[in-house]
Amino acid sequence: MSWTLALRLFRRELQQGQLLLIILAIMLAVLSVSGLAGVSERLQVAINGQAAKFIAADRIINSPEPIATEILEQAQELGLSQVSSMRFNSMLFGDEGFQLVTVRAVGQGYPLKGEIELSSGPTAKLPGEGELWYENRLARLLGVQDNPQDASIELGMANFALAEEIRRLPDAGFNPFASSPVVLMRLEDVGKTQIIQPGSRVTYLYQFAGDSGALDEFEEYVKPLLSTSQRWVDVQSGDSPIAGAVQRAERFLLLASLLGIALACAAIGIAAQRYCQRHYDVVAMLKTFGASGKQIRNLFALHLMLVTLTGIALGLVGGRLLDIGISSMLPEEIASYDTSWWRPGLLGVTTGIISAFMFSAYPLLRLLAIPPLRVLQRQLEGISMGAWLHLLMSLAAMALLGYLYSGSVPLTMTVVVAVCALAVLLGALGFVMVRVGHSVGMKTTNPLQLALAGLRRRARQNAVQLVGFSSALLLLLVIMALRQDLLDEWQKQLPENSPNYFLVNIAPEDEAPMAQFFANNGILTTDIYPVVRGRMSAINGEQLITYSQQEEGVEGRVGIGRELNLTWRDTLPPNNDLLEGEFNTKPGEVSIETKVMERLGLKLGDELTFTIDNRDFSVKVTSVRAVHWETLQPNFFMIMRQEDLGQFAHTSMVSFHLDDSRRELVVDLIKSFPTVSVIDVGAMVNQLREIVEQVSLSLTLVLILVLAASALVLFAQTEAGMATRQRELAVLRTFGGSGWLLRSATGLEFALLGMIAGFLAVVVAELTLYLLKTQVFELNVYMHWDWWLMAPLAGGLIVATLGLWRCRNLLRQSCSQLLQS
Amino acid sequence: MRMRFPRTSLRKKEENPVNSAIKVSRLCKSVTTQEGELSILNGIELDVKPGQSVAITGPSGSGKSTLLGLLAALDTPTDGEIWLDGAALSGLDEEQKAALRKDKLSFIFQSFMLVDTLTALENVMLPAELAGVKDARQKAEAMLERVGLSHRLGHLPKQLSGGEQQRVAIARAFISEPKVLFADEPTGNLDPVNGTKVADMLFEMNRESDTTLVLVTHDLTLASRCSRQLIMEDGHLSESDVGVEESASRIEQPLKEAQA
Repeated sequence: MSWTLALRLFRRELQQGQLLLIILAIMLAVLSVSGLAGVSERLQVAINGQAAKFIAADRIINSPEPIATEILEQAQELGLSQVSSMRFNSMLFGDEGFQLVTVRAVGQGYPLKGEIELSSGPTAKLPGEGELWYENRLARLLGVQDNPQDASIELGMANFALAEEIRRLPDAGFNPFASSPVVLMRLEDVGKTQIIQPGSRVTYLYQFAGDSGALDEFEEYVKPLLSTSQRWVDVQSGDSPIAGAVQRAERFLLLASLLGIALACAAIGIAAQRYCQRHYDVVAMLKTFGASGKQIRNLFALHLMLVTLTGIALGLVGGRLLDIGISSMLPEEIASYDTSWWRPGLLGVTTGIISAFMFSAYPLLRLLAIPPLRVLQRQLEGISMGAWLHLLMSLAAMALLGYLYSGSVPLTMTVVVAVCALAVLLGALGFVMVRVGHSVGMKTTNPLQLALAGLRRRARQNAVQLVGFSSALLLLLVIMALRQDLLDEWQKQLPENSPNYFLVNIAPEDEAPMAQFFANNGILTTDIYPVVRGRMSAINGEQLITYSQQEEGVEGRVGIGRELNLTWRDTLPPNNDLLEGEFNTKPGEVSIETKVMERLGLKLGDELTFTIDNRDFSVKVTSVRAVHWETLQPNFFMIMRQEDLGQFAHTSMVSFHLDDSRRELVVDLIKSFPTVSVIDVGAMVNQLREIVEQVSLSLTLVLILVLAASALVLFAQTEAGMATRQRELAVLRTFGGSGWLLRSATGLEFALLGMIAGFLAVVVAELTLYLLKTQVFELNVYMHWDWWLMAPLAGGLIVATLGLWRCRNLLRQSCSQLLQS
Repeated sequence: MRMRFPRTSLRKKEENPVNSAIKVSRLCKSVTTQEGELSILNGIELDVKPGQSVAITGPSGSGKSTLLGLLAALDTPTDGEIWLDGAALSGLDEEQKAALRKDKLSFIFQSFMLVDTLTALENVMLPAELAGVKDARQKAEAMLERVGLSHRLGHLPKQLSGGEQQRVAIARAFISEPKVLFADEPTGNLDPVNGTKVADMLFEMNRESDTTLVLVTHDLTLASRCSRQLIMEDGHLSESDVGVEESASRIEQPLKEAQA
């Protein structure tokens, strides 16, 4: 019985549009989660490629020259699997053109972790003899994208064939921000290219994998043997100057989806309430005709399940479309990465199920508890269990979903706090409206007083309308503000003529010719900064430990845990502000960046010990600096004097600005100085901006849906109050209220409601933005004073227009029509 | 036409009320309000024989609807006992009461109480489906034909007039072949012409099915068509002097049928 009846009820209600609201709400939740998760998946992969490259192994030794064979033998003895490879830049020549590429020459066994993904799917094979595996954009850059397999390719002194197209390498293979495309070849083929000559800039990579005990033992053994130019890598720490900006983009996207979830939850909550209220009579009638509790439970469980499934299905389709839509607007390097769709899909389904059931649980319980006597006594509503329980459950559902989705506590908490704030404000407002408005009756001819009286009478009903409307407005404000702030932030990072290229790994002997190169081409650069890599080993003589050691239970002061880029300089760098002390007046002093100072709990006068090339030396903290990381200048945590650092081997870095029209100079530069690494910051930042623009655009789409949904809620809610409103109008008309009075009172009532919603939205939006900017995005906090006027006005206007339009028929009717119907 | 046996749970307490469709003894109902205990029904006694039609009239707030709710096993009395078709209601839980309503009772309401998203046919099918009747659809079609709505099977309640909606409700009430039919102001929301039409149909089908009818109404004309008239006043039920009115209704009825 239940099945056929549930199906029939579902079919009929669907046909008549009764389920539109709740299905739309569920769909919205699933759509925003699955769609935006799809996009963020792509971005995350892209970002991971840049900020924390997968290393295709557990540990890597990174060296400019081959390492001693004893080290490799030791690894073997410890039972570690290992594979060697080389990385170098070279010019690759095709029939039509040439292109600078990054060559990865890999030995048998690569990769130790992960797998190579070709356009035809994952593979366990490696390039054969004379084969190059290439990225799609290389084929395009060479103009051979139509049949790359037929192109004859020269690399150094050898000929190669472009055999397979790479989608992704487990390490560094996919990197939309890299300036040169990657080709993969056999390690054995490197010899015949004759590219590697004495003095060639090559990175030898030794990858290791195995159990953590053996790895630790190996690390202990190998670390003292490494020179400063050799690096021990676990999960590469992103020293990239734009890592912070990338992280913000990622978080913005997460936040957007989280807000989408929060909003959809509100929508589902309201829709579920409406859904259940509509069925009160049906339940009472069914019970009267003798339906058992089980029959009714089954009926509505099945019905709700059908509703949820429909919402989820539609949401998945919509989410996929959203994903496709946004991806089509993203840069091709990101869009071309085909992420699997099961995770966003699964997330969407989970969201749909959790939100639909958690939010409808309470209204459904009330529905099932409707007494049959309601058929005779229409006002009966059955038990009213604590609404706070419902609120608590809804919050828990939202927090759970948020955490499931973002994995970020601060983000989730911010959203929860915002929702609580909105709930508290609404509760307080409802209380005030009921209490204060008590004296205001209907005995008035002033439209404002009449409107206030109307608001008070409908206080409870209005509270629900306010939830929908102010949360929609709130989200709109938050997203708009954050988007603008992020774009501004990135704009600030790239003001006209600010550096857009970084050169790192400049060998000391290249410094002078490079300066000449810049002078010849009229390029202005920042100061050139020497870079020495070193580890801080002690503070005031106390040996430092790493976080992982601390987790293992080792007691001691926690240090930085990785090597730092150190520099020397006698004057304060431009864009740095001196906060305390005096900058490096004499040898033996160090100037520290303020955040590191805070993190390590340092103070002026502390003695820091550094270990470089197995030699220790100590310096005293004499000044503290604020560093503007976003300026894209070379920036450093620690600045010392040449007298202390100059004794160690160093490379240098510099940044400069180059107009796009002169981009080919970079190719000349790389040809002249093949050992130097170029980072094209401009391209990265532009891509980020593009991404945020696209994401914001897609969010705008979602928000339009949201606004439509809240308008729908508003409609559904006014529908419920229409009968009482009609009676009131009839009475007012009968006692001589003019058309003008009634119209203005009704309009004013809606306008006031909208203004309250707008005001609430601004208050909570400022709070939310404060939390987000301080806890998550690290942006400057400021008040949006214009909103405090604009949002209530806009809210009032929108709601008044909608409300008047909704009541237009009632307002047009004559007294007798009103009384009759 | 129906020889159904009571369900297991209803078999106990089969005492003297066996011969009554409804038997009520010392029935009291009071509710707790802010001003204290408020007594609505005071020691009601009632005995309705199978096939009788009983009208309960009385001023607003006299307790008519409360009594109806108690008789129909929708509400629980404060004191006293009710037997429906020989089975005592006291001691039954909600599920058992629902089973009893499903098997023996049916209802017609002032506000029709049709499911507004289901068609006329589907509304009539509901009680039969709840009872697990196999040919619910055919039965419902036949019932709608009897109330003259065979051309309106696929219409939604909002596409029907008030009179038509109540006729659907009548068809729904009789599909489960009830022993007792409770009607709460069945013509209260209808204009006089439609009200009379609906009442004619109700009494006719009631007579044909030999159902016991309990009708609560303000409408004295409607009440006069029942075989017994009871007056509810301040929580007390009393038999009214039926002679004249009853014979009047006996004369009226064929006349109205001829006019219809």
